[in-house]
Amino acid sequence: MLRRHGIYPNLVLQVSVEGEIIVRSVPLVLFWAVISAVLISCQGSRGKEEIMRHEAGPSPAISPAFSRERETVAASLPLRVGAWTRSDKARIITSQNIFDYMDGAGELYIGYRFRLLDVYEYSSADQDDILVEIYWMDTSDDAFGLLSNDWGGDAIALGASESEENKNPIAPHHRALYGAGLLRIWSDNLYARVMAYRASETSRGAVLDIGRAIVAGRKDPSEPALLRVLPPGSHPSFRLRPDRLCYFRSHLVLNSIYFLSTGNILNLGPNAEAVTAPYEIPAGSGKRASFRSLLIHYSGESEAREALRHFLGTYVPEKAPGTPGTNLGTDEVLKIEDGWMGYQLKGAYLCLVFECPSAEVARSFINQALKGVSKAEAVHG
Amino acid sequence: MDEKHTTITRRDFVRGSVAAALGVSVPAKAWEQSTGRSSTVLLVRNEKALGAGNEVNVQVLRQMLGQTVLHVMGTKSEKEAWRSLANPEEIVGLVPTSHLNPTHRELIEAVRSALIEAGIPQNHIRMATGAEDDAKACSALIALPALKAHWLTGIGTVLKNYILFSGQPSRYHDANNSKLGEIWNMPHVKGKTRLVLVDALRPLCDKGPQPDPRYMWNYSGLIAGRDPVAVETVSLKIITEKRRALRGEPWPLSPPPLCVLAADQKYGLGTSNLSEIRIDRLGWSQDSLV
Repeated sequence: MLRRHGIYPNLVLQVSVEGEIIVRSVPLVLFWAVISAVLISCQGSRGKEEIMRHEAGPSPAISPAFSRERETVAASLPLRVGAWTRSDKARIITSQNIFDYMDGAGELYIGYRFRLLDVYEYSSADQDDILVEIYWMDTSDDAFGLLSNDWGGDAIALGASESEENKNPIAPHHRALYGAGLLRIWSDNLYARVMAYRASETSRGAVLDIGRAIVAGRKDPSEPALLRVLPPGSHPSFRLRPDRLCYFRSHLVLNSIYFLSTGNILNLGPNAEAVTAPYEIPAGSGKRASFRSLLIHYSGESEAREALRHFLGTYVPEKAPGTPGTNLGTDEVLKIEDGWMGYQLKGAYLCLVFECPSAEVARSFINQALKGVSKAEAVHG
Repeated sequence: MDEKHTTITRRDFVRGSVAAALGVSVPAKAWEQSTGRSSTVLLVRNEKALGAGNEVNVQVLRQMLGQTVLHVMGTKSEKEAWRSLANPEEIVGLVPTSHLNPTHRELIEAVRSALIEAGIPQNHIRMATGAEDDAKACSALIALPALKAHWLTGIGTVLKNYILFSGQPSRYHDANNSKLGEIWNMPHVKGKTRLVLVDALRPLCDKGPQPDPRYMWNYSGLIAGRDPVAVETVSLKIITEKRRALRGEPWPLSPPPLCVLAADQKYGLGTSNLSEIRIDRLGWSQDSLV
């Protein structure tokens, strides 16, 4: 039966998992190289802009280990589940054609170091389709980040119980979340969306069965180490909102969680990692108050320092270094329109805090977070 | 230009200086001269528009569409209403959302059928969704976007619907999405839009454009008008109120939909001020959110 709405009509590739991707991806790269050269030479800036969009990432290197990993997951997907039958081949979406597949949404996955997407559909004679999207990311942290965009839904235990090292996480203790027909999964370097076009008890069972098959036998690495830097509470009685915590690398993702600026004023990108979360005084404990934390780990100290310089020049231009009469350092707390903001640079880490009710709250959080940084650096040498 | 003068920050919102940051410099706008800064938007809803499986009840939808054009055009018959939108000599482009939570095809077909019944030759009606040439080939456009939040632009409905007409969609991504209104003023687009008709049958209030059924609901409505910014503003209000209802507290769109304010104050396409918009309502009123 056809799905109710043609949500993803524009697909480009359809190849089997077993090796064909290598054969197909080489000419695709060559194709884009030729098209890029022609467009740049013929269309000037217009061509460059279009090409930049499509060159969001290089065609992924398909290592034998990665191919085997994909094959294992593909082989574990049931051919039939309930009334549904799986398409026998995956549609392969790469960073080159992800915008054809999901114009306006591809940036999300590219922002998390996307490698490849395998798409399957389960169809049925009398039920709407079930769409299976398996996003392969560079690391487990990237796949975690995608799940952390939204902690809503019912937690689902799909696999084995957690290992000891995964106990007491900072983020919610969930690997899979289900709601209204959509199952989202973080499983090592894989993020999956399994979506029934029409939610029902029957389709829920099928969706969860597919989810169990995807994660079967896979590792469950810990949440990103950066999260450990976040204190669970802060002076005087603020508590971290783990259900609003988000791990990311792209300023576009930051803006979708907490809008800071239309530009990338913190120099975020694939070589940086960041976590943001609100802290709140829980309801019922007096005056309600909150602030926003943002912790960024850059690839090096010079990158962190340059990012701070960029941030100050744009966000606090009246007090940026070089402005007559002012010279903000690498560790400041200052009052702006929406409360107290603060920041401190420590090595490759930049800790920021916004909308604090007092300077003391801002200072206290930064001090606590940076103690966490010191611990993290000690652990990692 | 120095980045601090072109980049809009959170502080601009708090200070109320977004308009200045957007570089507003248009002193007089054509639409203001003709309307005196007021617009009317029609909201038509019918709780039977969608069935238990979210399938469209075509008969009910056609009734809603008829009510819509009669009210917006102020004519005595539907045929007259459609004929006042376009004449048989014109090439009419239908501009639906074609991808990711697309416009319901039943709505597109209902509009097409109504135009044909009104005497517009079938070969004068075309889908105008692909590129700038589609707009160039049409003398009249009917915008048929689907209502959805968008993780890059806040809202991705009316103004974003013409992005492919620019020929350079990437120019309007990321920090540049506030410029979406610019496309409506391009020579091959300007003045051609006769009706903006938003498919609000089953909107998406978060995580768009990728579908997430947790944030989709049966609103069972059409939102229509001739001022694209006013229609977008009412659509935005519905999305915003739905988000508030879901969380039980304010849940503002992030990033903020800068394109709507800019379409008003920079590009002069219409009003984004709710106090300047008269909302007429027909049909089902429960949980209208606006």
